[in-house]
Amino acid sequence: MIESLFSDPNYAASKVLLDATAERQEALASNIANVETPGYKRVDLAKSFTEAFTAQVKAGQASDIPQPTIEMDPNGGAERQDGNNVQLDKELMDMSANSLQYDTLTEFVSGSLKQLQMAITGRSS
Amino acid sequence: MDLIPGVNATASALNAENIRMDVVAENIANAYTTHGADGQPYKRKVVSFESMLDPAGSGQTTVQVSQVATDNSPGETIYDPGNPDANKDGMVQMPNVNLSTEMVDLMTSSRAYEANLAVIRNSRQMAAKALTIGH
Repeated sequence: MIESLFSDPNYAASKVLLDATAERQEALASNIANVETPGYKRVDLAKSFTEAFTAQVKAGQASDIPQPTIEMDPNGGAERQDGNNVQLDKELMDMSANSLQYDTLTEFVSGSLKQLQMAITGRSS
Repeated sequence: MDLIPGVNATASALNAENIRMDVVAENIANAYTTHGADGQPYKRKVVSFESMLDPAGSGQTTVQVSQVATDNSPGETIYDPGNPDANKDGMVQMPNVNLSTEMVDLMTSSRAYEANLAVIRNSRQMAAKALTIGH
């Protein structure tokens, strides 16, 4: 039972996603910090990670998902005259969505652990 | 990874915007200084930013002030014969500070500062939420 919870693909995937969301928050913080830096190009989660993750989830497993990494966003959009392509409103919206995703994931992980606790103690709290 | 994600990048940006606001304040304060320490009218200063990889090794792209340069473009000359700095024709060389430009700069800087404060609030909430796992 305990192994089955911790090796559950959904639980394993949400652990990796929590890491990825925290990593993405760092990328978005870097982008907003550099909103006025000439020549700065926005960064985001590496495409190789998101693709590998989606493929694993579609296959119903979460055994070898790579670690989330940050790289320069190849679809960063149009540059301003100073060579910077950060759009402040877009970054802030992405950040709201990102932290909401983090909240959702923590709720899911908490819920799974609570279920396990319930199974062990027989009590609901 | 830090406890609060992205804190190094955000802190560096707050610091850089702070320096920029200091320089804008200096420019506005000296908008009518016709006689500096060197006997010349005040010349406005310009801040430029550059990004760098976080020296603390967090992998975040932080921002710093690369230089505070002096703008050497000439200011306007006005006719004010009563001014002690007037030349023999009664013309006074004014500083090259344009108040509108400085105010726009100040607003931009202040908005960027607020955006970074929003990031810190958001990241802090995330860290607090992570502490509730299992409760």
